Amino acid sequence: MKKTFLFIVIICTVGMNVNCSKEEFLDQPLRGRQQLDDFFSTPENAVLFVNGIYNKVNGESWFQANFPRQINEMATDDQWSGNTIQPRPDITGIAAYNVFAGSTYFNLFWENHYIGITRANISLERIPNVDIDDELKNRLIAEASFLRAFFYFDLVRSFGGVPIVTTYNELLEPEIRDKTRASVDEVYALIEEDLTKAISVLPLRSEYAASDLGRATKGAAQTLLAKVFLTRERWAEAQAMALNVVQSGEYTLEPEFENIYSVDNPHGVESIFEIQYINDPQFTDIGGQLSTTNGSRGDQGWGWGVPTSHLENAFLSEGDSIRLRSTIIKHGDPVYGDPDVTEFDGEPSENKSGRTNRKYYIPLAKRPEPYQRGQHPLSYIHLRYADVLLMHAEAAYFSNDENTAKSSLKLIRDRVELDTNMSLTGTALRDAIWKERRLELALEQHRLFDLRRQKVNGISRLATIMGENGSFVKYNTEESTDPFETTNLGEAQDKGILFDINVHLLWPIPPAEIQLSQGNITQNPGY
Amino acid sequence: MKNSILIGFMLLSFSVFGQVTVSGNISSENGEPILGANILEKGTLNGAVSDFDGNYTITVNENATLVFSYIGYVTQEVVVNGSSKIDITLLASNQQLDEVVVIGYGTVEKDKISSSISTVEGAELAKIVASNPAEALQGRAAGVQVLSSGGNPGASPQILIRGITTNNNSQPLIVIDGVLLPNGTSLNFLNPMDIENFQILKDASASAIYGSRASNGVVLITTKRGKEGKTTIDVDLSYGVQQLEKIEMAGADEYIQVMNLRRTNDGNQPLFDPLDFTADTDWWDETIENYAPIANANVRASGGSENIKYAGSVSFFDQQSNYTKGWYQKITGRFNVDFKISDKVSLKQDLSPRIERFENTPGSLFSILRIDPLTDVYLPQNEREGRNQFSIFAPSNNNVPNPVGGIARLFNETTFFGFFSNTQLDFKITPQLTFSSQIGLNITNDRTDIFRPQYFTTPNQQREINDIFRRSRQSLDYVLNNTLNYRNTFHEKHYVNLLVGVLYDSQNFNYVQAFRDGVPSNDNPDLRYLDAAVGDNIQVAGNEAEDNIFSGIFRAIYSYDNKYFLTSTVRVDQSSRFPEDNRTGIFPSTSFAWDIDSEDFFNSSLISNLRLKVGVGQVGNQNINRNGQFFSVGSGNYVFDGTRVVTNFLSQFGNPRLKWETVKDTNIGLEAAIFDNALTFSVEYYNKTSEDLLFNVELPNYTGIPGLVAQNVGSFESKGIDFQLGYNKQVGDFSIGLNLNLSTNESKAKDLAVGNEQLFGQKREDLGNRFIKITEEGGRVGLFYGFKTDGIFQSQTELNSHTSDDGTIIQPNAQVGDLRYEDLNGDGVINDDDLQTIGDPFADFYGGLTANFQYKNIDLSMQWYGTYGNDVFNYPSTFLYSGIQNVNVARGAVNTVWSPDNTGASFPRLTELDPNGNYLRPSDLFIEDASYLRLRNIQLGYNFKINGFQRCRLYISGQNLLTFTNYSGFDPEVAANSGNIINDFGVDYARNPVAKTYLLGLNLSL
Repeated sequence: MKKTFLFIVIICTVGMNVNCSKEEFLDQPLRGRQQLDDFFSTPENAVLFVNGIYNKVNGESWFQANFPRQINEMATDDQWSGNTIQPRPDITGIAAYNVFAGSTYFNLFWENHYIGITRANISLERIPNVDIDDELKNRLIAEASFLRAFFYFDLVRSFGGVPIVTTYNELLEPEIRDKTRASVDEVYALIEEDLTKAISVLPLRSEYAASDLGRATKGAAQTLLAKVFLTRERWAEAQAMALNVVQSGEYTLEPEFENIYSVDNPHGVESIFEIQYINDPQFTDIGGQLSTTNGSRGDQGWGWGVPTSHLENAFLSEGDSIRLRSTIIKHGDPVYGDPDVTEFDGEPSENKSGRTNRKYYIPLAKRPEPYQRGQHPLSYIHLRYADVLLMHAEAAYFSNDENTAKSSLKLIRDRVELDTNMSLTGTALRDAIWKERRLELALEQHRLFDLRRQKVNGISRLATIMGENGSFVKYNTEESTDPFETTNLGEAQDKGILFDINVHLLWPIPPAEIQLSQGNITQNPGY
Repeated sequence: MKNSILIGFMLLSFSVFGQVTVSGNISSENGEPILGANILEKGTLNGAVSDFDGNYTITVNENATLVFSYIGYVTQEVVVNGSSKIDITLLASNQQLDEVVVIGYGTVEKDKISSSISTVEGAELAKIVASNPAEALQGRAAGVQVLSSGGNPGASPQILIRGITTNNNSQPLIVIDGVLLPNGTSLNFLNPMDIENFQILKDASASAIYGSRASNGVVLITTKRGKEGKTTIDVDLSYGVQQLEKIEMAGADEYIQVMNLRRTNDGNQPLFDPLDFTADTDWWDETIENYAPIANANVRASGGSENIKYAGSVSFFDQQSNYTKGWYQKITGRFNVDFKISDKVSLKQDLSPRIERFENTPGSLFSILRIDPLTDVYLPQNEREGRNQFSIFAPSNNNVPNPVGGIARLFNETTFFGFFSNTQLDFKITPQLTFSSQIGLNITNDRTDIFRPQYFTTPNQQREINDIFRRSRQSLDYVLNNTLNYRNTFHEKHYVNLLVGVLYDSQNFNYVQAFRDGVPSNDNPDLRYLDAAVGDNIQVAGNEAEDNIFSGIFRAIYSYDNKYFLTSTVRVDQSSRFPEDNRTGIFPSTSFAWDIDSEDFFNSSLISNLRLKVGVGQVGNQNINRNGQFFSVGSGNYVFDGTRVVTNFLSQFGNPRLKWETVKDTNIGLEAAIFDNALTFSVEYYNKTSEDLLFNVELPNYTGIPGLVAQNVGSFESKGIDFQLGYNKQVGDFSIGLNLNLSTNESKAKDLAVGNEQLFGQKREDLGNRFIKITEEGGRVGLFYGFKTDGIFQSQTELNSHTSDDGTIIQPNAQVGDLRYEDLNGDGVINDDDLQTIGDPFADFYGGLTANFQYKNIDLSMQWYGTYGNDVFNYPSTFLYSGIQNVNVARGAVNTVWSPDNTGASFPRLTELDPNGNYLRPSDLFIEDASYLRLRNIQLGYNFKINGFQRCRLYISGQNLLTFTNYSGFDPEVAANSGNIINDFGVDYARNPVAKTYLLGLNLSL
């Protein structure tokens, strides 16, 4: 009897001891993940956290930012939405200005950018307290400032005034739910402040260690600020800022246009801010996406965002064969720079224009195995020197400095063996600069914001291209004889006819955001 | 098994001298023979069982005492005293007085219970042959809903007890023989034949003893234990086939006709020329077998002496899917032993190992319905040159993946190993005071293997390199309970039963998984292992987690004179899921019952039982992301200078203020029995209100907070009535047993925190990125959300007269034959401001009817289940009659849609452009009433005699043979796929429907 009792006592005590102590039993830590409050303990971790902000410039996959920017391009005269076998209201509809506010892509773009902003805000708040040498600390803070400005600039150009969040701590307070949209001016003020700070601290490209190639540089911040000034029509400041980049001597034009977008030329001499993509079989978040999303459906692509014949005609009217062949691939033609393809399969039954973007195309011999999305070793360039020169030209023109404008313009045209008419003046010069911008930067996701900001008689150029009387709409419905576009009506030929200047210079605020904010965030007019 | 044979031998060796053979007949009061009554020579293992006619024979010592016993009857002892024939009439016991019920950390006499508990006997559950015993629970108890998760072999249904008070997982806590299982544990591993009964603790006064995990109710499962007496061996065998009802889709001619009409109605050229196509593929026939087998075998042995009693079983279950792939198999064993070590000490030891394996059943129904019939299954022979076996399938004309190819490329198998052990030591310190110590362990390991072959169909449908994936998970759950129980009766009238206890409950989980590409062969199954793969892409992951709860419990049961019954419980829980300051939860309850019929003033010969009960209590819920309190840092990759670098970022935004969700619950019930207990009746009303509702909140995206944040956001209320009626009667050779239960429930969002007044679910991209489910403050939970329609425009006049007050034409793009939408706010346009609730997936009431009949040696049982007043979002109807994106349509669709010749149609005209957006937005066009009544099971049995067997029974049985419904979809019993019933339930995504099953079975007792 006693033995049994003893046995019970043993079971109980062993049982209790198994659990050591109640506190240990109940304090279950977070496993397999670091915690934010402990994270900023070393300089290395501060660097890793700032690296994380860069993730959001293009997003980790195809849909967060890459593809929404492609939809922007589709909503211009340069690209069709393209894929006619899967027409979708949230892509094709937007491109046609039958704008579907509920599109996933507006929502994802908005979300992606704000996640980036919060990552920047955490860095800006925590890094000053990290024990770390001042030079690195200041640089990291400046990188975060640059990236935050980059995100807000994308947002304000897409949606207009957006809510401003500049600290991390405010997210912990219930009042964070009371935010409303800031004015466009307030957003730009923040962007300008961030970029000015970044410019004063960031090293030049040549001052970085080689292993840091790809980080935000002083040149990148100056280029972005020049673009901000240009957008704000602050011509003199834009011109001066662009000139800073020119005079830094850090960048030159790539001698051969075809090498700008090339698997073999990451961070080329012309590249100012670039998301480098590499092929690593183990990781799908550090390789390119656009070769698949924009590739021909006959070439393992999805067939979205195809060049228009209208764009092709723009090259032809300028006699610009060098840039044309490195911008557009046409069905049935050989692919310039890819000796293995003599007759390209543009799958015209599924492709509105039978054309494909050459800039995102990877020649067969350069394709790693397997060839798949997220692993394409073709980098994406956000800012390049040609853009700086053209901004410089445009700003100079509007500052009534036509000669400077023409000399910058000439640099761009010389590379592609086009003569520059040095007698151009007035609106003819302006139009030449604008056209040059279209041809030089075609399909590189500048066009929509250029058309929105560039004005003729105070009216956005987009309105002269789109709408019932828009030049692009007229061309397609009345003039075009393009054998592909006029026969594949899977995407309507009158794309853009629904454009309304009172509505479509901004994209709609994602309706989910209006719902989630209980209506504190209001919709743009007309949506 | 070996043990029972051994014991059998031991029994044989008991034949000694000085014995007599006694025989006789055992019958009940009304003269019915009692089959299977136990006859035991007192103090020995020698026993016998009465046969079909109630006769028995036993050889015993001439001075022996025989003990006659049978469940539900008063045990009798008779001294043999040399007689050779003893006939016995057993008297029915007043079951209620004797039955002991498991109530959580102890047992109590059934009549002392004053809370709401439903019991379902294992014998009833075993009538339905299914992989999961929960399926058999459907319609068995008032207030308990079993929601199907589709007809795949091994699918686990959801149990929902008395509606919804949480926005998270609504599944009840499952407790098997005292061991708490992790939330969401499937009951697949249980052999239904091992189950003594299910006790369903429905109200808080019953479940509060389980505290923080009891807010969705508790299901207590008790397994069968051995009884003193001769070894009995039961064998149950059944074999059957499952049949799916074919869904008829359009053939080539009708498909072409519909596709072309869609275009010509818009003034465009037809899409297809019939002359271009020769194929007319019936994809259902290509992928689905008419009949799939299901088999079940089970052997049980039980018996024992006064000191050692045992019950052991082994079972095998095999279910095939109706596809060429997909099956589920399990083998379970159980061995429960009770040792009486001394008069004061007893020990229980249960062991139950199990193996379950399944191959994933293809979820191809969607593709089968949607793919066009103009596509051949395979490429023509001449195009197959140089292609492997996974690449010979023709790509469809309408971009829907070829389902035959999809099934051929599916290699996904899972194997479970489980081991359950439960040890309980009881020490009677005094006759009234018992100390119990229990250690329960549940160990599982599961392993999933996926192989994806290399194939090429089109440049956009290919996998360039094959790959292999394996995940291995382990879990260990244990409970360690020490309780002290005191029970006594003072002065004959004061019954007291007290319990105190200290409990540890721990759930541990870990996993490791690996992936690699480049398996050298596409075809050789022996190489489908990670060791064989040689590719560059190697992915690994692994982690572990632990959830712990430390608790103290106290319970007091008091009854006076068997008239008044009072139970009070308190449980204090501390959970590792919450931050230290919010870790402790206190969960009290109390309930009271009054047996009115026991009062002196109550004098009715008609009413044999009349009882009123009231209970209130509070229970908790901790079902939220285990790491919800933490701010965590995730990692990713980026490239500088052509080299990968690591990135870090905020991956989860924590909530340091997170605390328990609590549910306050009130239950009022009345029970009655009349006509000598022939008719029993109970009705209960309940009201459960949750506070600090746990919810994963999506903050506005401008916060840049990734994912969802665990918060306490409000309060839900669930109320309803459970009604149960039973009738049992025997007239001559005929006996009848009926049990009807009906339940109503209304679950509402009573209060939601600022910023969360509308909780949305199920965003559908194809319906305009709109959420089709909504829970709004003040309204019922989980309603359908969309546009209201008001018929179809029949004429231009109707179009022109559909205007707002100021004369604006509301639907300027609409044409005759399109849907008329209701302009809710009267602003003259149809937009998101006109969204409203358009349906309710939850039934007004639901119920079950179980009927058992016996006439001589024939028995018949039926089980019906039905729901009334529930709506279903019939998702397939968003394409079955529209051909949207050129998908195939239902056979006869051309006559189902509106046309000038068919103006009475309920579906709008065929149009490809769909300018009115008939099929681009959620509307009540897709909402249907899905009330139904279903014959879940019907079984006809025949009992016969074979020498050497105590009992032989042959039966035929059918499951889901009849369904009465107006629902036009494939199965009104739509699947809820995850535990989140609010957001998931009621949308029919054409998951593999529940099959009709035909079975033949045999029960033998030895």
